[in-house]
Amino acid sequence: MTLSPSVAEATHLNEEQVAGYIITATKEVFGTMVMMEVADAYPLREPVSAFQCNVTAMVGFAGIYSGIISVNCPLPLALTVTSNMLGMEVEDMCEDVNDALGEIANMLGGQLKMLLSKGGLDILLSIPTVISGEEYSVSVLKEDDSVIIPFTCEGLRFLVGLKLKKEG
Amino acid sequence: MANVLIVDDSSTMRKIISRSLRQAGLPVDEIFEGGDGIEGLNVLSGKSVDLILSDINMPNMDGLEFIKQARANGCKAPIVMITTEGGEDILREAMANGANDSIKKPFTPDQLQEKLGGLL
Repeated sequence: MTLSPSVAEATHLNEEQVAGYIITATKEVFGTMVMMEVADAYPLREPVSAFQCNVTAMVGFAGIYSGIISVNCPLPLALTVTSNMLGMEVEDMCEDVNDALGEIANMLGGQLKMLLSKGGLDILLSIPTVISGEEYSVSVLKEDDSVIIPFTCEGLRFLVGLKLKKEG
Repeated sequence: MANVLIVDDSSTMRKIISRSLRQAGLPVDEIFEGGDGIEGLNVLSGKSVDLILSDINMPNMDGLEFIKQARANGCKAPIVMITTEGGEDILREAMANGANDSIKKPFTPDQLQEKLGGLL
């Protein structure tokens, strides 16, 4: 799990710097929009090959870079995040949870786009995609060209992943 | 008191913006919502709106096209983009299409008050 060499060369950033940017962005999004403090546990001590989660929100990049930023979250934390964002108690999986996690991925995607894009028109962000289920693992996190950052929030672990490739 | 239109494909974000407007103490009366540019235009065709807050990246009709069509239809209300799309070129295009200002997500109620206080 490493940052793509082509991305590192094009951005003049190493993996630690990109990870630091994602960590700062994630803390800002959670601090201002979710009203929750998160702590990062970067770098990973061992590969994340079978992280069990319930909600995965993703936003894709297309243009001078292609890839995906994802937020992988266990259901109890996803419910708390959604409750905080909406200002009301959400106790079960519902469309609001998908929407809230999708918006977090969208804001993180926007922050990354600011880092990668020269003016905003050379990279397109997709509309968020959210997958939810009782239990599954995220196999894309095992592949190369990915930066994975574990976070903890209220004693629960979630992952933010970036898989990125330079185009052209 | 002002009527505000919030156009964003995320229902969560529409609720956050709506709550933040109230928390910031801005003089807001009715708040209308649209899930994309088409819904935003539908609201404008039937309601009196004093301020429009719009996302950019939305399905069906994005925020850039929405504000362009809103202005073409004669909408005079101030338009502020609330978006993750903070690049200079995209914001320049938004201003060329009729936007008055922009706020970057994530934001705080204080930031909303600072940007919107003079428009309401």
